[in-house]
Amino acid sequence: MSNEVYIIGTGQTKFGEFFDLNIGDLASEAVSKAIKNAGIGKNEIRTLFIGSTVSNSLSQSSIGGICTRSCSLSSNAYRIESGNASGAAAFHHAFLSIKSGLYDVVVVLGIDKLSDYVQNGTIEKILASSIDYQWEYEMGATLTGLYSFLTQAHMEKYGTTLEQLAYIPTKNHQNGVLNPKAQYRYAIPIEKFLNAKRIADPIGRFDIATPCDGAAAIILASERYIENKKTHSYKVKILSSSVGSDTLALQHREKLTELKATKIAANDAYHKAKLTASDINLAEVHDSHPIGEILAIEDLGLVPKGEGGKASVEGLTALNGKITVNPSGGLKARGDPFGATGIAQLIEIVEQIRGNAGKRQVNDVQYGLTQNVMGTGVMSYVSILGRGEN
Amino acid sequence: MEPPKIWRERKERYLGIGIMCEDCKKKNFPKTRICPDCGSENVKPYKIAERGTLKYFTQIMNTGDELVFNTPYVVGLVELEDGIKVTAQIVDCDFKDLKKGIKLEQTFRVIARNGKEGLIKYGFKFRPI
Ligand SMILES: [Zn+2]
Repeated sequence: MSNEVYIIGTGQTKFGEFFDLNIGDLASEAVSKAIKNAGIGKNEIRTLFIGSTVSNSLSQSSIGGICTRSCSLSSNAYRIESGNASGAAAFHHAFLSIKSGLYDVVVVLGIDKLSDYVQNGTIEKILASSIDYQWEYEMGATLTGLYSFLTQAHMEKYGTTLEQLAYIPTKNHQNGVLNPKAQYRYAIPIEKFLNAKRIADPIGRFDIATPCDGAAAIILASERYIENKKTHSYKVKILSSSVGSDTLALQHREKLTELKATKIAANDAYHKAKLTASDINLAEVHDSHPIGEILAIEDLGLVPKGEGGKASVEGLTALNGKITVNPSGGLKARGDPFGATGIAQLIEIVEQIRGNAGKRQVNDVQYGLTQNVMGTGVMSYVSILGRGEN
Repeated sequence: MEPPKIWRERKERYLGIGIMCEDCKKKNFPKTRICPDCGSENVKPYKIAERGTLKYFTQIMNTGDELVFNTPYVVGLVELEDGIKVTAQIVDCDFKDLKKGIKLEQTFRVIARNGKEGLIKYGFKFRPI
């Protein structure tokens, strides 16, 4: 027997502002739903891997014990931090723990609670923790300011236009309408993005994903466990879980027209899954800023380099276009509880593979890919999921 | 904004001191104990160029607590004459008049304020020549 890793259950809260819920409440809802969905017993869980950017507050960074108590688990728990990609980082480590043969059943939980913090003050400081805090943020930059540089570099080299960029959030809001778990379930006309006030020119105030509250959980199991149990009606196989890296600060990079970390992670993920980019017709990518989705689809090899804007306008990445990108609504419409985002992306792929995505169901899904980015691309995580045989 | 941190960074923030590697000859800022390019421990202090070119810039409307007092302000990616790139505020100019490629020079300014009574942090910004 080989040591394949499977997803056997998922659970997620709605994403949004929940002033009456604390981090334990959110964790409990997501994990309980995932355990029920997997049909396993709580005592089978060996470890809880928690992906969280800021955890409960700036003072309680160790949230493992908070989550195990709230979820009534007796397993050990780790918090794994990788900025905005903390969810994907936790998933990667959960995957490794089973792939290594050490554990048979683990839970990965992505969680953050950001509605407690104000914008234009604390949120920007939190986001600054995943760029170079000393030499970018303290010198005056913000995450969005740096994404403005990435946007300008792409516009300059490839002629990408503001209209092309505005297609990204417009499309993702259309998809978000169909996702019951999304924070924003309404379409926004493209003019609204184009005419909005610029908050870091050329980035407008409606272009950016909104930090919010949410939790999402996935149960992972070993092949050995599944063979013995034979209880799971629909399992999804993890074909690869890969990571690439780059410099923390943009000023230390040679090129700003690509995310090198995404290219490295994608090459590794395709290689391990024995696939190429042309096999992929479904992806959930990091669209925290419109240029993020354009860079993602190009650097993942889903469209030719420099043509991400054009491809978006032509509808190639729309729901049931040639490659459906962000059918969930993406970070933009689903809302962005940083650590929960990477897990929500994976859950969307699982739902699509299981055929449970309702009105946003993509036709003929064999594989699905996720890409979750820390900061401006210092780390990028790419995973590919596929159908597990029943 | 901890006093020891401000003190520790004084040479970098006040004087623009980075490193030059004696082995691969590459210059780097901010300083590191070993050369980030080749790993050599044979590095010496190096003062970065005070003039450069504006590569990218934007106007920041929303930012973190310590910098909000300054908004809106312009921040840019500046390529110095010695090839080193730094992120810094661009001052003594209007955002709408700025153009990519213009020449800039370093200027010593207030960078951040910790409330009305807290520490004031200084460092370099750039202004058009
Ligand atoms: Zn060297």
